[in-house]
Amino acid sequence: MTRVVEVPATFDDRSFDQFAAAIGEWPPEGRLLIDARAAQWAAPYGLIGLLTAGQALAELRLERPLFTVPASDEVRSYWSRIGFFQHAAELFEIHGRVPKARAEGPSEVLVPITPIRAMDDVIEIVGGIQENAARILNKELGIEAKATMGFGMALSESCQNIVEHAGTGGWVAVQAYTYRRRLGRRVVTIAVSDAGVGFRRSLEAAQAKRYGERWRDAAALEAGLIHNVSRFRDPGRGQGLAGIKRYLARWDGKISIRSGTARLAIVPPWDDDVPLVEHLPFFPGAQVQVVIPAQDAEAR
Amino acid sequence: MIQTIRLDRVLREAVATPYRNLVTRPTGALVRRCIEATLAGTGCRTVLLDFSAVELLDLSCADEIVAKLLLAADAAPSQYVVLAGLHDHQREAIEHVLTHHGLAVLAVCPDEGISVLGRVPDDARAALGWLTDRAGDGGDADALAAALGWDAQRARWALDTLAAQRLVRHEAGAFLPLRVA
Repeated sequence: MTRVVEVPATFDDRSFDQFAAAIGEWPPEGRLLIDARAAQWAAPYGLIGLLTAGQALAELRLERPLFTVPASDEVRSYWSRIGFFQHAAELFEIHGRVPKARAEGPSEVLVPITPIRAMDDVIEIVGGIQENAARILNKELGIEAKATMGFGMALSESCQNIVEHAGTGGWVAVQAYTYRRRLGRRVVTIAVSDAGVGFRRSLEAAQAKRYGERWRDAAALEAGLIHNVSRFRDPGRGQGLAGIKRYLARWDGKISIRSGTARLAIVPPWDDDVPLVEHLPFFPGAQVQVVIPAQDAEAR
Repeated sequence: MIQTIRLDRVLREAVATPYRNLVTRPTGALVRRCIEATLAGTGCRTVLLDFSAVELLDLSCADEIVAKLLLAADAAPSQYVVLAGLHDHQREAIEHVLTHHGLAVLAVCPDEGISVLGRVPDDARAALGWLTDRAGDGGDADALAAALGWDAQRARWALDTLAAQRLVRHEAGAFLPLRVA
């Protein structure tokens, strides 16, 4: 039996739960058909979430899902330029015409969709982004030039979490775009996703006893994001997320992490997201989104 | 004697990368081991870690290189580590990890002179300021107590704390600021 999973027309961190719900029980019974024909817009978070689903199914050695490409030429073209189809071809049986990706991605894409499997990938990603990041953060977002190093730090620490905690590979993409729906300003987002063990299993050995019956996905996210807890005994660990939070606090940014059945966010005043959501449809691994908005001219 | 170790060069020797970024924990561990090997082979009392040609420093590397180097400093009790050429974000990253561990280190900045990064009790910080102002003369608890209007016990504790954090040298009853030039 083939189960049809529709990709939401607007596919971002909020509609992601709709996508996860459409998959149903995990692991899914039967073959999946991911239907992106109606997709109109997708944030990097949504696109790497799709790849994460494909990766998780491949790692479970389940039948390769079918994937129907967006009907819109413009959407297909963008998905191609950000590198989605290049990786999707390895994970899905793709149906529909896929445009060839240009050698250079669009200028608003700081990091096209890139797999992260080892620390060397992190070094390459962070090294390759510096010049473009400085241009976009400074010219478009009004963030002072010296703060671009902090952005590189946030990117580095976000990506390292995959290698250190997921137990498998993952994906990253960084893009600037205008966030019309909630902010009406330009933003830069870092989206990171993996198909790994998730926060709860990663921190279980060190934290489950302490939380007792409260130990579930939300508690694990709280331990990791709010209390900077790490699964490693090394007392120097757990500072990466703390550093990211500090950087975001300075630039009025947002971080949200979804893992398993919960999502926890540190929500800035410009956003109306709820800090904690539980009992979401299960999705494997962890999905992180960091959003840094353009600074108010007055605040500069 | 002071030995300067350029972190960009150590990075190039430790890792095959075209970038001048100190990022990821394994990179930091490799760089730290190179520094430790250099420290083991030098007779210099003060080692200046020069970050000026390094671009990005993430928290993982700051922890692996600076914090762990200071944590292991007991292995070489006669050597002192001082940082130089730090950019603002590097200073912040190092400040963050050292505060987390309860450690501290001196940093030399061409514009601001010597500053201390990390967690230092207020009294010890004041004592360091007094000692630095006295340049190479150094001083003892009695002189500090007289200068700052403290009792001798408080002054002694502040200076002992600085010595324990390896921010000053304690020799023959006197506390001496580290020579960085």
